[in-house]
Amino acid sequence: MKPKVGIFGFTGCAGDQLMILNLEDELLELVGALDLKSFTMASSAVEDGEYDVAFVEGSITTPKQKQKLEEIRKKAKLLVAIGDCAAWGGVQASCNGILKVEEKMREVYGAPDVWEIYESKPLSAYVKVDFVLPGCPIEKEEFLRAAASLLRGDLPEAVDYPVCVECKLRENGCLMLEGKLCLGPLTVGGCKARCPSLGVDCIGCRGVIEGEARVKSAIQVFKEAGFKLDYVRARLRMFAANYPEILEVKG
Amino acid sequence: MKIEVEPLARVEGEGGIEVEIEGDQVKEVKFNLFEGPRFFESFIRGMHYEKVPDVMRRICAICTCAHSMASIKAVEDALGVKVSRQTELLRDLLIHGEMVESHALHVFALALPDFLGFPSVVHMAQKYPREVKGALQLKKAGNLVHNILTGREVHGMNERVGGFATIPSERDLERIKEAMQLTREFALLSVKLFSSFELPEAPRSENTFIALDPGKRFGYFGERHVASDGESWDVHDYRKYIKETTVKHSRAKHSSYKGRPFMVGALARIRLFGERLEGEAKELFKQHKDKLDYQNSLSNNLAQALELVHSVDRCISDVEELLSLGLKKEEPVEVKPKAGTGTASVEAPRGILIHSYKFDAKGRVVWADVITPTAMNAANVDKDFRVAAPKLVKNPKELERTLEMIARAYDPCISCATHLVRIKRI
Repeated sequence: MKPKVGIFGFTGCAGDQLMILNLEDELLELVGALDLKSFTMASSAVEDGEYDVAFVEGSITTPKQKQKLEEIRKKAKLLVAIGDCAAWGGVQASCNGILKVEEKMREVYGAPDVWEIYESKPLSAYVKVDFVLPGCPIEKEEFLRAAASLLRGDLPEAVDYPVCVECKLRENGCLMLEGKLCLGPLTVGGCKARCPSLGVDCIGCRGVIEGEARVKSAIQVFKEAGFKLDYVRARLRMFAANYPEILEVKG
Repeated sequence: MKIEVEPLARVEGEGGIEVEIEGDQVKEVKFNLFEGPRFFESFIRGMHYEKVPDVMRRICAICTCAHSMASIKAVEDALGVKVSRQTELLRDLLIHGEMVESHALHVFALALPDFLGFPSVVHMAQKYPREVKGALQLKKAGNLVHNILTGREVHGMNERVGGFATIPSERDLERIKEAMQLTREFALLSVKLFSSFELPEAPRSENTFIALDPGKRFGYFGERHVASDGESWDVHDYRKYIKETTVKHSRAKHSSYKGRPFMVGALARIRLFGERLEGEAKELFKQHKDKLDYQNSLSNNLAQALELVHSVDRCISDVEELLSLGLKKEEPVEVKPKAGTGTASVEAPRGILIHSYKFDAKGRVVWADVITPTAMNAANVDKDFRVAAPKLVKNPKELERTLEMIARAYDPCISCATHLVRIKRI
């Protein structure tokens, strides 16, 4: 029997689902191997039922989304968060705790109460998440590898080393020595250090290595390198504002 | 009776179609955009100019490069940055590569299944394997441009304020040319297909178009907006012409021009600047002129197909021009922060996109405004719905199908194109 799979999206840009569709060489074979119950981004054929694996993109920002997520959780044996919005709340969480939703709504839509909107939170704020595929967007090869494990019922191995490890393997010079604020030391690896390899400092799009990242020490190092705290804080918040150690950094 | 098409998976988020019918009368019909709002204009405040595009390109995945370009150009406009000819050419290649990727996906995978009667491109592959595989390879050729110029397919990082962090190699540019040449026939196939379909007549109504004046050659960058009533304006003055209002049923603010809805996107570009196409795209445009019904928004599919041919050929000619000039290993232009305001508009696959920012003396954002093409089109989709729904009210199945096809033709965003339909009786 083919494994039953659902792919869902909430608040975000749909970039992680797009990365699945970007598997141009593997897509038809991949979809053929699955009993795809729901992937509304690609197909209007949707069936109700249980899922062996539910892949969920996006953060939760409305009551309806919260309810839908809870329904998915009930029907899914394994629930996998794909992408930074689902994992950490995404860029739209970057002012959590600083700027109230009502203020943002007043500014963008002209009134503070046009709709009931929550502060952007990761899926794990509302349901149990079995595995996280990080990134903004996810790496499609990582998705394929993880999908292969998950569809056999195994949890894949999570990356627990920073971007710096892969950056060193690629023999790049350290961008901190060039005077750039690089978030490589705190950020989950697995991207083969794409940005530093092009000479662009890591912006932390794969999120913080949970429990391992030394946020306070990193802030100290960045300050010693001459960066102002409010800049460091804005950079740390870009993709991981909901990480407790980052959330509590005062400006 | 109430017909709900929901979720209209997402229009840069979640959306749906709602029709209320009383007896034989359509009481209300709405294009609902229930995307969870993200408030980019609000949370970007305080961000240093150099990182602004890194955040703002994440507004959208399928047109990430258009956002990237609009954001970078708005920053450069504010800070008085002038880029090199090489940077301009690389950016032109990038925006055309995105058009290939996005249009290939929309035309073949999202719009075509409707016309051939399949629920998805995967279902279609069983009957048309060669065409579907070819379309995916065409899409991949577009993504190759992203990969090589920006560092990855979605949300790249190599395109910077002032230029490119790393200049691609000549070999990489040749790979782009080869991929475009190999898959070009599928761009031609899309024109053949979409020029052969009869369109539903129901949404036919007056359309006003707005697009960016590309200069002498058809393209997606420019400095002036042009409307189909003959008016034109500098993009800096966009707020005088394009008005936005908040509507309860949509988290995309509705836009109007002279108090009326308007349409942006491929059909607008072809209507206003089709004569500036070149080569085979121009031939095909002339050949299919009578098939382009500008009062039927569903013609946007054929307009996208014509742009696919144009964009594939332009990628090839941009590569040739870059190679003939010889690639220089140049660094991005050095930028000095200063207080100022900057605005830029580019053509995203689904229409004009505007980014506008104000910076303080340290180069931090104090104010930002972004208008996306999906938001600009939302009121026009409502207009088409209001015209089409009463004509189809006696046949709810046909009504649903047609309204979905209309919404899809605008290519509002990838995820809105296919979805579950549900009828609720009230």
